[in-house]
Amino acid sequence: MIEQINNPVVEVHDLMVSYGQNPVLWNIDLTLPAGNLIGILGPNGAGKSTLIKAIMGLVEANSGYSKIFDQDLNHVRNRVSYVPQRESVDWDFPASALDIVMMGTYHHLGLFKRPGKKEKELAMDCLQKVNMKAFAKRQISELSGGQQQRVFIARALAQQADIYFMDEPFAGVDMSTEKALVSLFQEMTATGKTVIVVHHDIYSAGKYFNWLIMLNMHLIASGPTEKVLTEDLLTKTYGGKLSMLTDIGELIKKSDFNPLKN
Amino acid sequence: MSFDPNAFIIILTGSMIAISCGLLGVFLMLRKMAMTGDAISHAVLPGIVIAFLISGSRHGLAMVIGAGLVGIIATVFIEYLSNKVKLQSDASIGITFTSLFAIGIIMITFLANQIDLDQDCVLYGEIAYVPIDLWITGSGTIMGPRVTYLSLINLTLVSLFIYLFFKELKISTFDKEFAATIGLSTVGVNYGLMGMVSYTTVSSFEAVGAILVVALMVVPPATAFLWTKNLKRLIQLTVALGILASFLGYYLAFFLNSSIAGAMASVAGFFFFLSVILNRKQIPAIKKKLSKMKVA
Ligand SMILES: Nc1ncnc2c1ncn2[C@@H]1O[C@H](COP(=O)(O)OP(=O)(O)O)[C@@H](O)[C@H]1O
Ligand SMILES: [Mg+2]
Repeated sequence: MIEQINNPVVEVHDLMVSYGQNPVLWNIDLTLPAGNLIGILGPNGAGKSTLIKAIMGLVEANSGYSKIFDQDLNHVRNRVSYVPQRESVDWDFPASALDIVMMGTYHHLGLFKRPGKKEKELAMDCLQKVNMKAFAKRQISELSGGQQQRVFIARALAQQADIYFMDEPFAGVDMSTEKALVSLFQEMTATGKTVIVVHHDIYSAGKYFNWLIMLNMHLIASGPTEKVLTEDLLTKTYGGKLSMLTDIGELIKKSDFNPLKN
Repeated sequence: MSFDPNAFIIILTGSMIAISCGLLGVFLMLRKMAMTGDAISHAVLPGIVIAFLISGSRHGLAMVIGAGLVGIIATVFIEYLSNKVKLQSDASIGITFTSLFAIGIIMITFLANQIDLDQDCVLYGEIAYVPIDLWITGSGTIMGPRVTYLSLINLTLVSLFIYLFFKELKISTFDKEFAATIGLSTVGVNYGLMGMVSYTTVSSFEAVGAILVVALMVVPPATAFLWTKNLKRLIQLTVALGILASFLGYYLAFFLNSSIAGAMASVAGFFFFLSVILNRKQIPAIKKKLSKMKVA
């Protein structure tokens, strides 16, 4: 079930990516609508991070291409934001939460210019939005995993982009923070921004996202949540993971889990 | 103690070299590339020899350019081995630096009778000769100690590099992928930094030798990191430690009648271990840092 749309904000065409001899993504062909909160689902190692990295030009594609706002990424970098997985950096780095969020303003500054008062105010606003203003001066090594994650999201907000790619932004954050972040993302999409989130919990995915991508090396599904969150597609996506399968079966039996209902 | 101009020149030169090395060393440490700095400082040897053969002089621009180029080649080679050949990064560094260093040693041995350059000079340097090695212009004017000028130029350029590219160095060190997504040339920043490391090594080897350059790049930043988690503070403390090592190292050597460069390195090492003891609470964190530095 792969739904293609007109005037997409993101277009991925025949994308194939491999690390050395190992292909990780095969023939990914998808288009994404603007103003949506979009989830990427798939088991560990499905290539979710790789898909985002390929779109962001961080890994080289063997074939195919991707376009954002119908343009090459290089022409629209200022409108695109990327939040890597939290573990991808060393949080022992000597910097405060505010320092890190200020990095989100760097691309507007250009070479040799230093961030000033305006950038600092913006960064503080962004910390406020993720409820981290009180920790602005705190060294990042002294923050909890969930707080570090929120600093990363604040840095992305400081980029003032139109499209956001976030790799597991809810990893390590508690339930109430996760809910707060989801409403923040929903506010953003309500103003026309597009937020694409790698998510590992299929149960909450139905509630959070209005568009879902299901990935397991191949693209299994891409479409409106109510159309693609089906047992059949979830089984295809999480195929080999038996325990996962039984979980889904049981949940559906208990009818606690009805993707069509909110 | 009365003012001794020779002591002043040696301490000044030593301090300037220690500051240049420390400034670069802070970023090498944070990038977990302390060993890459080590590798480059040894790998520039063939560059030094070739430049010497071409220019016939141990001084001057040819030397800096030759070594700078070999330093960049070494960086490219290390990155190639680890990214494209998928060799572990410590093995890539080891292979690159031992091969280039070996080539340099072979060149020196083969050309021993033709050139006035020996391994000892390259490895250990002799800062005690700095005051008597004068820069004399074509018209015969004595300008003062040559190596002191070299280290002043080096310090100016290193400081300028770090000042101008502070934002870029910071962001590409903390989060390389994010830096790349905002359009920063992370490769360019990396080669810039490695080029400065190569240049600093060449500029300093006559005074302190390649081995001490590495000590000054690694030890003061690692010591400072035990005391602060603020980047600007870290840089300030590294600078202070460099000056202190140079000052105390000189007098230690004076009283022990030993090598000044060696005494400077010993003082730096002493401060490191003192800091470890005073920061006993933090010992696990240091271990973590050191083990990371080894594999990087
Ligand atoms: N830098 C890399 N080098 C080699 N293989 C990698 C690299 N990054 C990821 N992989 C492999 O590619 C596959 C997909 O990884 P990834 O995109 O991180 O999956 P996900 O984010 O869905 O868990 C995995 O099998 C992983 O082991
Ligand atoms: Mg991932």
